[in-house]
Formats: sequence, C-alpha cells, structure tokens
Amino acid sequence: MSLTSPQPPSAAFRARPMFLQQFVSLFRQLVRTPQSLIGMALVVLFVLMAAFGPLFAPYRFDEIIRGAARLAPSAAHPFGTDTLGRDVFSRVLWGAREIILLPTVTTILSVTFGTGIGLLIGYFGGVLDDIVSRILDSLLAIPALILALVILGTIGASSLGIVIVVVVLYTPIVARVVRSATLNLRSAGYIEAARLRGESTAFILFREILPGVLPALVVEAALRFSYAIFLTASLGFLGLGVQPPSPDWGRMVNEARSAYAQTPWALWAPSGAIALLIIGVNLLSDGLRRIFRYEGGIG
Amino acid sequence: MKWFKNVLTFTLLVSVMMGAFGALAQDGGVLRVGMTAPVVLDPAQHSNDPETALNRAIYDYLVEVLPDSTIGGNIASDWTISDDGLTYTFNLVEGVTFHNGDALTSADVVYTFNRLQEVSSPAISLLGEFEVSAPDASTVVFTLASPNADFLYGVAARQALIVQDGEDQPNVLGEGDAAFENFNGTGPFILTQFDPGARAVFEANPNYWRGAPALSGLEFIFIDDAVAQVDALLSGELDFIFKVPIAQTDRIEAADGVSVVNVATSQHPVIRLRTDEGFAGADARVLQAFKYATDRDALNDILLQGRGTVGNNDPIAPVFTFFYDDTVENQTYDPQRACELLEEAGIGTYEGTLYAPNAFEYADLAAVLQQQWAAACINVDIQVTEEGLYYDFSNPNNYFEVELGITGWGDRPSPQILLQQAYIASGIETGFNESRFSDPEVETLVEEARVTTDNEARRAIYARISEIFLERGPIIVPYFAPLFGGLRDTVQGLVMNPFPGSTDFRTVSIGG
Repeated sequence: MSLTSPQPPSAAFRARPMFLQQFVSLFRQLVRTPQSLIGMALVVLFVLMAAFGPLFAPYRFDEIIRGAARLAPSAAHPFGTDTLGRDVFSRVLWGAREIILLPTVTTILSVTFGTGIGLLIGYFGGVLDDIVSRILDSLLAIPALILALVILGTIGASSLGIVIVVVVLYTPIVARVVRSATLNLRSAGYIEAARLRGESTAFILFREILPGVLPALVVEAALRFSYAIFLTASLGFLGLGVQPPSPDWGRMVNEARSAYAQTPWALWAPSGAIALLIIGVNLLSDGLRRIFRYEGGIG
Repeated sequence: MKWFKNVLTFTLLVSVMMGAFGALAQDGGVLRVGMTAPVVLDPAQHSNDPETALNRAIYDYLVEVLPDSTIGGNIASDWTISDDGLTYTFNLVEGVTFHNGDALTSADVVYTFNRLQEVSSPAISLLGEFEVSAPDASTVVFTLASPNADFLYGVAARQALIVQDGEDQPNVLGEGDAAFENFNGTGPFILTQFDPGARAVFEANPNYWRGAPALSGLEFIFIDDAVAQVDALLSGELDFIFKVPIAQTDRIEAADGVSVVNVATSQHPVIRLRTDEGFAGADARVLQAFKYATDRDALNDILLQGRGTVGNNDPIAPVFTFFYDDTVENQTYDPQRACELLEEAGIGTYEGTLYAPNAFEYADLAAVLQQQWAAACINVDIQVTEEGLYYDFSNPNNYFEVELGITGWGDRPSPQILLQQAYIASGIETGFNESRFSDPEVETLVEEARVTTDNEARRAIYARISEIFLERGPIIVPYFAPLFGGLRDTVQGLVMNPFPGSTDFRTVSIGG
C-alpha cells in the first residue's frame, strides 16, 4: 500500500485526539501480543536503567581501578573490566543515559520540525510544496553517514553535533510522511466543513488534521527513535560521538574491538546492550504499526 | 633415429637444468608481509612504513641507518669527513647495476641528491644546505655550508634512495610491458606486479651486487586494519606484520608457529602546553605542576602493560645509546605539590581541554591523564580528533594551535632532529614547535650539539638540555613505546627496524 492512498486508521483512533482512555486501550492492545510485550518490557528496562542506573553502578564510569585491568567477569565485576581497568558493568549502566537521552531529544525535535513542515506543505500544496519537497528530497538523497561525517567534521564531535546531525537527517523523513498523510486528509469532508465554518488555518492544521495524521506519526516516531539509537551508536563507534571517557556504548564497542582477544566481555556487554535496546524498540514499533495498520515509513 | 635421440637428450638436459635452477630460485621461498597500502610512491617524497618498505626493496641508499641506529655503508663502501666537518667524500662500490642493466655511477648519486633538493624532499631537513659533485665515476663529494653532525643521517634519510641519472618519474606506473620500467633501482628485489590497494609482488634480483637475496621473492599484501592483519598472520596468509597493537600481542603469543618480536624505539607521545604569551605554559610553575600531576609509571603500566620505557621531560630516548643519560630524574608523582604550584602561579585550579589524536593508545592516554590530573587541581575535558584532522592546519583546533594537547612523535634516528624541529624558535615557523618553546640557553646548546662531532661532548650537551627541560621544558614524555611485530617461526634472519618500513629483507630466508 502506498502512502498516497488514504488509509483509514483503526476504529478507536479515527481522526480523534488520543485521550487517556485511548492510551490505556492502546496499552491493552500492545500487551496482547507477546512480541510487543517483550519490546515494551525491554524499553521500560532501559529507560529505568537510564534514569537510575548510575545509582546502582558500583563504580563511576571513568574510574580506573589500579591493578584491575583486563579482569574476566566475576562477582565484583559482573561484566569484567576493560584494558584500562574500568568496570564494564558500571560503564554500561552509565552509558544507558546517553544512548536513551540523545535519541529521545533528536526524535522529539525531528518529529516536531517534521510535523510542522509536513502539515504546512501538505495543506497548502502548490509552489511551496514543490520547493520544500525538492529540498527535502535532496537532503534525503545524501547518505546518512557521509552527511554526519561532514557536519561533525566541521563543528566538532559533541553531543550537540549529534543532535544536529540526526535532526537534519530525520526531519525530512518525518516531514514527508506527515505531508502524504495531510494530502489525503486535505480534501476530506470535515476539513471542508471547518474551512466553510471560517476556522483559522492554525485550528484546521492542529485540531482537525494533526489528530488524523497522529497514527502515522506515532509509528514513524517509534521508527525514528530506533534508527536514532542505531545512528548515535554508529557515530560513537566511529569516534564521532561524545568524547572519552564517556561510556557511550558505540565508543565502548570500538575501544574494546582491538582488544577483543584479551577482553571479549568488554565488547559483548555494550554490543549486547545496543542490540537488546534496538530489538526492544523495534518490537514495540512493530506492535504500534500493527495496531494502526500503518505500513509506511522510510528507512 | 639418432637425431631424435639427440633431441631427446638435449630436451631432458634442458629440463633438468631448468628444474635445478627453479629449485635454486625456490630455496629461500617468498616472504609475505602485511602492511597498510602505500600511497606516495616517489622515493624522494614518501614517508610512511609501507612506502619505505616498497622503496627499500627496489632501491639502495648511499649509506644506511642500521637497526641499532648507527650508520653503515651501502653503495658507498667507505667515506671520509674533512677536519672542518664541511666536506664528505664517499667512495662507491664497484659492479652495482640498475634493474635495467645499466651500471651505477657517481652521476646517479649526484642526480639523486640534487633531485631531493629540487622536490623539497623531507630528507632536506636533515641534510641542510649542501652541494654535491662527482670528481670521478666512483667518488661523490658533498660540500656543506656549515658543519652538521647529523649529515650522515641525512644521507641515510629514508627518502635518499638512489635513482638513475635523468629519471624524473621514479615509481610512476607505465603502460603494458613497460609498466614497471620507472621502478628502476639497484636494490635486492625487482617489482613484477603492483595492484594499488591490494598487493605488490617482487622477485629476487639475481644480479644483486651484494649477492642475490636468500628469498626467491617478496609479496606485500595491503591490509589497512591492524586486527585483520593479525588474523591473516594467524591463519597463515602472512609471514610478517609490524605495528601490532599491544592488545593483539597476546593473541600472537598464544598461537602456535608465530611469535611476537619487539624493538625499542624513540616513538613517544608528547603531552605539551603552549608556552607563548597568554597561555598557561608561559609560567614555568604551571609546567612544573603538570609534571608533578602525572604518574608516568602508572601510564606505562596501564597503557603499555609496563612494556614501554618511562620517559623524562625531553625527547632524548634510551635508544639513542650514545646520547642518553640515564641519571636524569623525573618529578615524582605528587598531586599535592602540583596544587601548591598552581596556587603559587595564581591559577588555583586549571580548567581546560586536553586534545588528542585518535591514534595508537592516545585516546586512552587522555582518559587516564584526566583521572590523574583531577587529583592534582587540573580539570580537563577531552577532545579526541581524527588523526588526519588533528594534524591539519585548516582545523582551528589542530595540534599546533591548542593550549594543551597530546602529539605523537614517530621514531627518529637521532635526538638532534627532534630538538631542532620542535624545541627551538625556528621550529615555530615550520609548524613543529607546537609548544612555542624558545629558551635562549636551549637554542645555544642545540646549535652547539649540531656542530659537535665528538659523541662524549655531545652527550654532555644533551644532559644539560635534559636538566633544563626537567625544570622549565614544555613537555612531558610519559614513555617511549616499544614496537611490536608478528613473525612466523619459519622465517629466519629478520631483524625488525625501529622504523619497521626500513626492515632489511635481503638476508631473510624461510626455513622448513
């Protein structure tokens, strides 16, 4: 099914804002399938880890324990220690904050910008749509990592840099999804009616159209979140992410890679954590997609 | 039928002879060496290990740096230095021929050294100002503008490979059958195949003037990833690799049939503060504070598993045997003293950013330093930059501009080169004196050392320089790193050079 043909959202969400009741109903639908349940459990686990992990970490993420380098996993060091003598378990716990926080921020920003742009060009169409859409298309044509290398190479590797990169990369994608959903709704009867009633453009956009595109948006946001985690970890791996001694999981994988013969656990722990988190988010977004019968999305 | 019998005998005889020669040629076997891909091939311009290895297989030097950092003859059998140190006369070995069959004469040597000047080869920094002439076919005379105690190291510079007179495109790939005619040296190996980015194949030069190499050939296989190189060694695809990351040495040690080789080098990270006006290092007390705040033994233990040699506050490494004074002492690790010194200097707590290139273990070094310094009133953020970008002047935060940074200094055969490049005022303009260190006493001593040919006297000068650096020098050398290689046990006679690209494969053989 293509994005341009109208997709009726499932009964519970048709063109209506999500209320608490609907949220509960959504939650019920999610826990019904085991995949979504697992996904949700994993995501909740990692969010808790991001919030409270450092409280339970036996060491600070940058603490070098003299004489404790390259120790295999044990009761004192559940995931062993790395080549410098840092506790891998503590680093993974501390690192959850970074890998959850950055993609959350970038997802919120790119969904916000993308929705705004998508609603505007979808609703007004015409020359504005032509120009903005072509700009978005050209941004989409650039390979993600190349653009990331250029931006981070210019402004320097930092958290802010990552946020800028991901927002620049994902805003056009969200905008396109919202634009096509808006196009479908633009000529719907109730929009016509609102226009005839003399409602303001802002009202029509945010109170009439936005609720209609919300299902697509929720699924898209979940997808963006999982891609953002992956991209953030990749940038960390390439050394373009946050700076050492930060326990960024991607960076940890890179640091442990050359020493995997000596300290394989230092490689397994962060890569396992990245994998579990991404699997969790993907299972969850699959569940959402099923519920909303939404099949769009651009890689 | 007699003619038939004759033909048969002849054929048999020929095939037996060919077989015998074939067996002879196969005796030494082919040595397969793993390395990153060479990029700059021009003998006068190349710089890194694989590039040197490729050139060294094909060409000869006039004189060469031996693995123990002393100078040995190559196509110059002997040489004399005039009493005023301004004239060097080299006598050439007889019977040296290029791969194309032409005999080598002094004209080729003169052409080579003039070309080094014309193309501004990196070798010039060591050679200084000179003129070269050839009184006869087997003698070359260099006349210097001023005495230069390291002139022989200049003549033996990695780029000073002897090319044929008139060769203006050395190592430029040609077309078809003539593909390798510009790879025309007098060296022990002849290039027979070159796939950029993949491999270079050489066969032994049967007419090599020092006798044909024991190997029947050489094969350089280009693998950019250091871990993949170790994998290839362990799986039997390679016989020798160099620059093995320290974390990989255990894997090689644990495997059968391969061993770790290591050699001490003068390669070292420099932790330096800028000393010019407006920067923290302008105050010698701040420089002292950083020295007291740094626990070098711990750095050597944590980062090199204790296998390096703890350094001082100057670039004079223990491998410079004649010139190294092992009685020079360091500041002991004393965070309390560091805090006091910073207090005296009116800084209190130093806040800043420590920059480091993403190379070797330098990112980890930065992380450990951050920890050590935090206990000594020095709080730094770390900024690790890709190596290429870090040394790129278009980056505003390049190694030369930042206040506090870690810089990698590769192996040099003599301490004089390092001192001249990085620790006197003239180095500020050339972009090597990153700390902008300029001390009148050091300037005088470095100049004095440059013209002092007596080793004992020179060692005394260097000892004095070490003392000054201990007190007010801009750098901390946490350690001099050893260099690791991986070698198949069947390989014999291989001595890894501290600059591994200069390793001599001529005498290497492969046994059963």
